[in-house]
Amino acid sequence: MGDAAVSIKALDKVYYDDSGKPSFHAVKGIDLEIKDGEFMVLVGPSGCGKSTTLRMLAGLETITGGTISIGDKVVNKLSPKDRDIAMVFQNYALYPHMSLYDNMAFGLKLKKLPKDEIEKRIQEASDILGLTPMLERKPKALSGGQRQRVAVGRAIVRHPKVFLFDEPLSNLDAKMRVSTRAEISKLHQRVGATMVYVTHDQVEAMTMGDRITVMKDGVVMQVDDPLNLFQNPQNMFVASFIGSPPMNLIHGRIEADGDTFNFVEDADSHPITIPLSGEVAEKAAGRVGQPTVFGIRPEHTSQRPISGCETTIKASVDIAEIMGEETYVHLKLGNHILIARVLTESRIAPEQTLEIHLNMAKAKLFDPETEAVL
Amino acid sequence: MNVETKDTLKRVGAHAFLLGFIAIVLIPFLMVIAASFTKGNLAPSALWPEQISMEHWKYVLGIEYEEVANAATGETRMIKAATPPLIWFWNSLKVSILASIGILLLSATCAYAFARMQFAFKHQLLNNLLILQMFPMVLALIAYRVILEFLGDYVPASGLNTHIGLVLIYLGGISMYIWMIKGYFDTVPVSMEESGKIDGATPFQTFIHILLPMSAPIFAVVFILSFISFMSEYPVASVILQTSEQWTLAVGANYFLYEQEKLWGRFSALAVLSGIPITVIFMICQRFLVSGMTSSGVKD
Repeated sequence: MGDAAVSIKALDKVYYDDSGKPSFHAVKGIDLEIKDGEFMVLVGPSGCGKSTTLRMLAGLETITGGTISIGDKVVNKLSPKDRDIAMVFQNYALYPHMSLYDNMAFGLKLKKLPKDEIEKRIQEASDILGLTPMLERKPKALSGGQRQRVAVGRAIVRHPKVFLFDEPLSNLDAKMRVSTRAEISKLHQRVGATMVYVTHDQVEAMTMGDRITVMKDGVVMQVDDPLNLFQNPQNMFVASFIGSPPMNLIHGRIEADGDTFNFVEDADSHPITIPLSGEVAEKAAGRVGQPTVFGIRPEHTSQRPISGCETTIKASVDIAEIMGEETYVHLKLGNHILIARVLTESRIAPEQTLEIHLNMAKAKLFDPETEAVL
Repeated sequence: MNVETKDTLKRVGAHAFLLGFIAIVLIPFLMVIAASFTKGNLAPSALWPEQISMEHWKYVLGIEYEEVANAATGETRMIKAATPPLIWFWNSLKVSILASIGILLLSATCAYAFARMQFAFKHQLLNNLLILQMFPMVLALIAYRVILEFLGDYVPASGLNTHIGLVLIYLGGISMYIWMIKGYFDTVPVSMEESGKIDGATPFQTFIHILLPMSAPIFAVVFILSFISFMSEYPVASVILQTSEQWTLAVGANYFLYEQEKLWGRFSALAVLSGIPITVIFMICQRFLVSGMTSSGVKD
């Protein structure tokens, strides 16, 4: 295990109310291995336990059960300052009465580092972040993006083994978010430290993470690199959380028609039938008559024939959103809406009937009971 | 009536109302100042003294002055206060400053605990504090007296008729200030202190280096409020402080109002005098009353 690897084993967090009764089980026995120098993103909807996990890693929350190790050291009982970590908060948490220099120097002074060493480290960090001309200013005089950079600087000067980011971009405006996102990625390449980054924004997760941990209700749903997460979701939650717009999930069942298998939608009227082929057809073979969920990403649909794929459906258009070069068409099936991404060639009118080809090689089948991929 | 005249009328009406309001605030104050410069111990009656005289101020400041003793013979006599009221002024200042500092230390630390720490019966304690506060201090007067008498047997410096004893009693009335400061601490994001924790600060260092400097405005408010209330506090001080050289201004001023003769002139001079330190303290504290101290370090 590397020097700055993080190992989380059977981690549990239970909150108790005033009378000592357990009130909320925030993290339910998660296991996670973060490699030395890796950029790991924890992503999930609010209340999924991602921030709680990060705060336990930081030492700001007590651990109910399980262990957290940084390097080879179990840190459960260590105070934050002894864990060799630095944290960047969502609301920056800069000290308003101190100059930028003092904000960054505060922790180092408490560590009793020599003065020239402090100066050297702050110089280095402010060069990286472009803060050098404003070191004497107070946080009040800075913009949101600059403040967050100071917060990052305060983390850098500590030379930590592990950087922790708790939704650092949520308070920035959209433009600032994109540029700061790139800066943090560059910073990771430059310092090469282990970084753990919490966000609820799947775009941030996809663009920044070496690997991504998707969490829901205190449980890890899938840990994978961004591409795999997109292409091979392990369950319906990941499929519907990653991607924008998310994967279309259509509830229905498998029906056999001679040698071929069809997916038939659950609907009160006009259920759509999707002939299955390729890998999904093989998987469908064992599930004839059973409820099944059919998943296909909008990106894997087309108005033009896709080579090696004969599956075509016809449906009427609900609405069409023109995004520029491509258009997201919402198609009305029996009970579901299927979003298809097509090239913008001409304006698509509502109620128009459209023929859409589905790339069966990329389609997925899920078990609606376990929600796992088949 | 067109819009313009309507507007003018509205403005005149508003100004008349506000001027009247200002008069209600200012006129009594001006009358007291006038009375302190008026010859003779008369109840204040005019905004400008008919005959300007410094006799009350001289008396209050402990300066000897000449007074006509018998108008018929023109006989005069020299008058000097036996206990110069200026001593009461210093006493008041001493007690109020000591008590206010004590209040600040106690209520800030208590408020920190209530705002940030988890302990049993926290909410019950907070609410009971508020209810207790609703009983005026005067109700427990006799108890204070007995307690100080008892305490004086062991620690004479803090017994009856001592300033330390009075300050001790004043320190009991902190629950309102705890509530005020707690309310302010609640608005300071927890992430500030967590950030300090990660920076390696102990809870005490976090309190001193991070929370305290950020909370200067509320401390200034608490200091001013408690200072003003102690400068003018009468019932408790009048029971605890028994000899004239120990009195505070409020107790001493009351001494001028005999049943048979009310020395309004001296009383007024003393009243004006007591307003001076309050003004000075307010001006000093005002520097800390900068709003938006917390709004710059975080964004919610």
